[in-house]
Amino acid sequence: MYTRLNSSSIRGALLAAAATFALSTTALAAGEHGGGHGSAGKAIPKMGHSDGGGHSGGHGNAAGEPGKASEATRTITIDMTDNRYSNEKITVKAGETVRFVIRNKGELVHEFNIGTPGMHKAHQKEMMMMVDHGVLEADKINHDKMKMDMGGGRTMEHNDPNSALLEPGKSAKIVWKFSKAGTYEFACNVPGHYDAGMVGELTVK
Amino acid sequence: MTFHMKYATCGLLAAVILATAPVAAQAGTYNLTVDRVQIDTGDFVKEGIGYNGASPGPVLRFKEGEEVTINVKNNLRETTSIHWHGLILPYQQDGVPTISYDGIKAGETFTYKFPIVQAGTYWFHSHSGFQEPDGAYGAIVIESKDREPFRYDREYVVQLTDKHRHSGDRIMRNLKMMPDYYNRKQRTAGDFFKDVSEKGLGATLSDRSDWGDMRMMPTDIEDLQGFTPLINGKGPKQNWTGIFKPGERVRLRFINSSAMTYFDIRIPGLKMTVVNADGNNVRPVSVDEFRIAVAETYDVIVRPTEDRAYTVFAESMGRSAYGRGTLAPRAGMTAEVPKLRQAPLLTMADMGMAHEGMDHGPMKGMDHSPMQKPMDHSAMQKPMDHSAMKKPMDHSAMKPAEQGAMKGMDHSAHGGMGGKKTDAFYAAGSGLAPKAANGGKFLSYADLKAQKPLYKLRPPTREIEIRITGNMERYIWSLNDVKYGDAEPIRLKYGERVRFKFVNETMMTHPMHLHGMWSILDTGAKKWNPIKHVVSVSPGTTVYMETEVDAPGQWAFHCHLSYHAAAGMFRKVIVEGGPEASNMIPAREIQKAEK
Repeated sequence: MYTRLNSSSIRGALLAAAATFALSTTALAAGEHGGGHGSAGKAIPKMGHSDGGGHSGGHGNAAGEPGKASEATRTITIDMTDNRYSNEKITVKAGETVRFVIRNKGELVHEFNIGTPGMHKAHQKEMMMMVDHGVLEADKINHDKMKMDMGGGRTMEHNDPNSALLEPGKSAKIVWKFSKAGTYEFACNVPGHYDAGMVGELTVK
Repeated sequence: MTFHMKYATCGLLAAVILATAPVAAQAGTYNLTVDRVQIDTGDFVKEGIGYNGASPGPVLRFKEGEEVTINVKNNLRETTSIHWHGLILPYQQDGVPTISYDGIKAGETFTYKFPIVQAGTYWFHSHSGFQEPDGAYGAIVIESKDREPFRYDREYVVQLTDKHRHSGDRIMRNLKMMPDYYNRKQRTAGDFFKDVSEKGLGATLSDRSDWGDMRMMPTDIEDLQGFTPLINGKGPKQNWTGIFKPGERVRLRFINSSAMTYFDIRIPGLKMTVVNADGNNVRPVSVDEFRIAVAETYDVIVRPTEDRAYTVFAESMGRSAYGRGTLAPRAGMTAEVPKLRQAPLLTMADMGMAHEGMDHGPMKGMDHSPMQKPMDHSAMQKPMDHSAMKKPMDHSAMKPAEQGAMKGMDHSAHGGMGGKKTDAFYAAGSGLAPKAANGGKFLSYADLKAQKPLYKLRPPTREIEIRITGNMERYIWSLNDVKYGDAEPIRLKYGERVRFKFVNETMMTHPMHLHGMWSILDTGAKKWNPIKHVVSVSPGTTVYMETEVDAPGQWAFHCHLSYHAAAGMFRKVIVEGGPEASNMIPAREIQKAEK
């Protein structure tokens, strides 16, 4: 379902900008991904430096852009267990569109998020906020709280097309186009998980 | 001086056991000798007690599910014992003389045999006299049968101790004679002899006696000073070094085997991700610094990416000494060693006077500034009269999250949040509440959340109040004002879930250790409450823990500060009922099997 999201101008990741931009873009982006959260079996929309929908903040994803399902050349299935991915190294070709099937087979909430180390670091702060505000519990996501008004119309919705935040037992599909060669990471930014090693290497050749 | 005891070295014995015990999936035999050894701290060399010829003893490496046989030969001229700290086992194997068994007499060999039903970092030590402070300790590493919920490329045990020039017996005698004997922040032994030469022995002793009339002093954070902290048996100058390749994840298994000393640990330049506490996995939490109570363990993952050395810095809680080691890409490299921070002073809050202020509002008319002078206890009829307090601090009623600076939407605090939160495990205004040296995140008990709860959450069947009490003047440490020798055992019933309420009425911090059964620390996280074997109780606080009484037999329960335990802060716990201990299956195993 992410494929219908506006793919848009992908800019080089201005990491600092991504960090500070996170909340402010969400309000603007919120209208674009109605229905994306709250339903079982789907990726939970993510707060933050989101789909890029033409915002001028430079929060694009250096690792690529949302892809079209029809262009996907292969499917990669990744199982998430407690604080590990089943697959810790992925290599793709530049320009390739991949369909990711992400399954949470653990007992805790986990995320699959494609980005650069800097993007993950910025996103970890947002995730920490979600925990502090009761949006994110160890084994559960409180979707209603995601819509909580954080002041100034900001919310903590989680709706990036490059990521899936999943409760135990849930799964999601992500279609992603890797536009540029480089080394990136897929990571779980639930507090502590990245530092415990829940991160994989993504090489785009 | 650590090495791995490979059971391959005992191949013949192991083979015999495998043949005779087909039920055990795995079986290993381990041999330990208890020996007089030389301990060189870099500051001094002294005789002490060790295992297999060294102190610390070997790192025992077990596998979860293994059936171990451990032969312990006592080469001392006195009785000894080994307690497997934190291990869940039949009580006869727990190694506490007069409670589990009679101990191991001089020249004899005792064979321990028990199944390994857990994984993680633990340790072992003598439970006889002051053999443990004299050097009789070692580490235990148990490999998990399941994949760990974290990744690492290599690992090191980092075992801390506080090595003193004096033997344990001599320290206890001195403390009994003069409780502030080792309080160098107040008076040093040197001062004593200086005073004797200037004023004469009589006047000096009289002056010391006056100090003794005041039960505590603001500097009473460490009642034993003048030690050299060791990391894996090496003093700061000897610099224990762990090698890494930049980019590797390194698991450090910190164990505090000190007799008396809490340490604040940091590795300047590295975040530490705490993944295990007291042998049980916790949800990973990244910190800049953490405090390790006596007898606790914490496993952290660090990922040094630069090609340089990092100092592992373990500063004693009272700031009288530090342990130092190094993580480096190559041997011989060193990094800057930080200076000791200023010693904290106890405050009125640590006296227990601030209990009514536990709403965290402003304290009415209370001077929390560190006391420059010792408290004048003579003005109080009885120090710390808790009965007169209307509202003792009740952690159960507070959700730790509510205590933080979560007002409104102040997201600026985010990330650095740890620094701003009040740690509920210290009295409000406590002089002991720790702060990270770099202003970052300092681990709190409130951050410890079970990665996977071991027990189902259920209401406790009853509550037992344990007041942690003491009389510093005579160096008497007790529970509920009764010392061990005069106390009745605590009786528990197999199958119940007991809620222990620890009320610390002293000005010292006490690491309470229950043998044989887990201590489920109430942090307010309900089913995610962490599972520990040591619960540290700060001055002026009340802390709750719950225990699923699932191990029949009799067990020790005590403050793990060696000289406090010896002075009487100790109880025997009897678990009545339940299956025969010899062929019991721990309840948690049944629970697992049912899943």
